[in-house]
Amino acid sequence: MSDSRRRSKGSQEETAGTSNGLGGRNRSERACDMGDEDDTGAGPSAISDEDDDPTRRREIRSKYRDLINQVQQNREDMLNPANNKLTDVLEEANKLFANVRQAREAALDAQLLVLATDLGKEKASQLHAEGSAFDPSAFAEHLLSFMGLNRLEDESGQDGNLEGYLPQSAWQRLAKRSEYCFKTAPSFHYILGSFLAEPPPPRQRVERQRKAPSKEAKRMMPTQLKKMEESNQEATEREVERILGCLQKYFADDPEEPISYYEFVIDPNSFSRTVENIFHMSFLIRDGLVKMNLDKYGLPCIAPVEEGEVELGGAAVRNQCVISINQKSWREIIEAFDIKGAMIPPPEVLSQ
Amino acid sequence: NNKNKKKSPLWCSRSKMTGLQQIFILIKDQKKIPIRRADIGKHVIKEYKAIYIEIMNRVCRKFDQVFGLKLVEIDPKNHIYILINKLEPIHGEPVSMRPGNPKTGLLFVILSVIFMKGGVIKENLVWNTLKKLRVDPGEKHEEFGDVKKVVTDEFVRQKYLEYVKIPHTEPVEYEFRWGLRAEKEVSKLKLLKFVGELFDQDPQSWTQQFREASATETSSQRS
Repeated sequence: MSDSRRRSKGSQEETAGTSNGLGGRNRSERACDMGDEDDTGAGPSAISDEDDDPTRRREIRSKYRDLINQVQQNREDMLNPANNKLTDVLEEANKLFANVRQAREAALDAQLLVLATDLGKEKASQLHAEGSAFDPSAFAEHLLSFMGLNRLEDESGQDGNLEGYLPQSAWQRLAKRSEYCFKTAPSFHYILGSFLAEPPPPRQRVERQRKAPSKEAKRMMPTQLKKMEESNQEATEREVERILGCLQKYFADDPEEPISYYEFVIDPNSFSRTVENIFHMSFLIRDGLVKMNLDKYGLPCIAPVEEGEVELGGAAVRNQCVISINQKSWREIIEAFDIKGAMIPPPEVLSQ
Repeated sequence: NNKNKKKSPLWCSRSKMTGLQQIFILIKDQKKIPIRRADIGKHVIKEYKAIYIEIMNRVCRKFDQVFGLKLVEIDPKNHIYILINKLEPIHGEPVSMRPGNPKTGLLFVILSVIFMKGGVIKENLVWNTLKKLRVDPGEKHEEFGDVKKVVTDEFVRQKYLEYVKIPHTEPVEYEFRWGLRAEKEVSKLKLLKFVGELFDQDPQSWTQQFREASATETSSQRS
């Protein structure tokens, strides 16, 4: 069989495999072609040297592989409607195929064809016969604007979107608006949580404990009540007197120097005692035993009232004021006045 | 609650079964994973198979009349169901009192791109678009965490998306489509309208998409 005839029938015969269209070729050649994977093309030497040349075949296979790689690596480029690269590849493949004689190379050709047709299908789907195009990049840009992107003043080219500050609520905002597109069923949750049957036992134990002491406590109560009430009032009176005594002692040491109110009441070691001191001091002032005035700096000062000074019913001189203090101010005053110790010594702990 | 359901009482009235199944479905729906009939049979009642049609009808009716929800079979072959809202959200009124779930926004972006691009897109288009929104699948995101997992695993299991291998690709590439849940739960027309708002463009200018959206809307209203 002449070479030229074989070539022209080549494409049909190679890919047809075992079909009946192999009429023109003799059996030995067919036998060698079927499933012949060998490089060396072993078997009867009925195959011409040209067809069997391993170097030539290797070359063809290598070119096929190049084409396949080209298609795979440059997929995006191939899809671009602006060029005909896909067509070029197909034309190259056609040229190569003219020299294909055996199944192995044909298989590569088939592989290339599959890739090319996939790309072809994609390229076709890109064609929009009518209507506007949709650009995902522009979509992203509009979304960023919607989400509240604060763009920088100089938007330079493509990177304009990578700059700028996207607020924290950005995705929330988009979510709230997108929700309208969904018919999502609200998620089911128990309003008050779910009910587990375990807690009761601990509660019972607590109640039993409480019951026992209360009986005894009731018995004691009548005798103790009177004592408690008395000691409360007594304690306050005693404390007030004690503080007056302190003040008088300080004043006796230096009668001319007025004592700063803050320095006197503040206990730098205890906020609660400071408050108690202020409380007790207020009784002394109310009862006219201690007087308070502002010094040349506008700071409050106190001094014990001498016996003769007390004006009974002297309403004209009386003023009212409300003093409040919190822990922050307490610390600030300690710092400002550099108070190191309490002028009013803490009371002895009353044992009950 | 699930522990109680595993017991199968000898006598179980139909209304009790209905109630149990409803609760089962509602709890399964919390995670938005579609519900299989096989699971319902396993967890609600063993004798379920004999009368499931009747119970299912009752359940659907109860969901419809009491909750305003629709139990939809998204996969008739494998009997898989989802719960969707029967009521259409009205623009101007809040959809829910709770703050929006940011994942809804993320899902919206992906569904929009797929729809506007004809219904199938390669995964790279999704990743590139998300990157422009400062969501990088390669990095941990402040709000979404492992973005790739959320998109290719969570959304796929919930049936909002389909993530399918493209044949003959080396290295392997995937493409995205709308999932069965999205087909039932998302209004293409509303989505297109929002896209139109973003572009300040008449939604009808995308003729093919508008045609498809209108067709889906009418057919879903009929069902």
